Amino acid sequence: MNRAEYLQQLKIALQGLPNDDLQDILYDYEEHFDIGLSKGKSEEEISQELGDPQDIANNYKSSFKNYQNETVYNSNNNSSNNSLRTLLIVLALGFFNLVIVLGPFLGIVGGLIGLYGGAIGILAGGLGSFFGAIIGPLGFFNISINFHPLTGIAFGIALTSLGILSLLLCVYLTKLLYKGAIKYIQWNLDLIKR
Amino acid sequence: MNIQFKKGVLELCVLSLLVRRDYYGYELVDHISKFIDISEGTIYPLLRRFRTEGYVTTYLQESQEGPPRKYYKITSKGKEVYDELEIEWESFIDGVNNIIRGDFSE
Repeated sequence: MNRAEYLQQLKIALQGLPNDDLQDILYDYEEHFDIGLSKGKSEEEISQELGDPQDIANNYKSSFKNYQNETVYNSNNNSSNNSLRTLLIVLALGFFNLVIVLGPFLGIVGGLIGLYGGAIGILAGGLGSFFGAIIGPLGFFNISINFHPLTGIAFGIALTSLGILSLLLCVYLTKLLYKGAIKYIQWNLDLIKR
Repeated sequence: MNIQFKKGVLELCVLSLLVRRDYYGYELVDHISKFIDISEGTIYPLLRRFRTEGYVTTYLQESQEGPPRKYYKITSKGKEVYDELEIEWESFIDGVNNIIRGDFSE
């Protein structure tokens, strides 16, 4: 490669830098060629020793980028630092919540729905037994039940009470879960905001 | 040789030359490439970075032969960096030598 080709390649590889910087950089290499030639080297020799223009351009570009980044970084050191930290926390929490918290939480919610179902079933059974025992003998429904109506009524009352109790227990558990979830979300938000 | 390692060594070499006197680019390149196998073109990006970071200043000086030359002069900040790098280098070399020669106790 002769001088003109070398400088042309370097110039192409340096595209993207501000023009002032580009001229300044090229000047250094012009000078290098000038002095090298005056010391009796050939243009090809000098090109050879300088090395790949693309490599050199990458050197300039990376240090230019670093310098710019550093300036930006220093000027709003705090906010960029914090936003990075926040991002990391959000990512970590998101991952943690997804992998470790979400499964058990859904499990508990499912269990609670099951309990509701059970309680409502018991309640319905109790009411059925109670009213069935009362209404049955009046002949509205022709169901043959082989126990005394009083037994049915007592059984109905007991079952209904049990149903109501379980329902109350369910509501209590729901409130507990709700409060827990709110606290957990609050804690997450605090972590992110801090 | 590893490129990053070479870059660090190159910084130290350039600074230690400039601590002694002012050099123009070609001279620096010539001096260093006499001792270390490098692509000579990579010293100019380094010098430019030194200037943006305030380790060196530049000035132009006429010469008897050819165009004016851009000279590099080390600043006090550059000297501080040189001192740090030099100490780092010495202790690094000591450490490596200890390991290579095996004169350390397990």
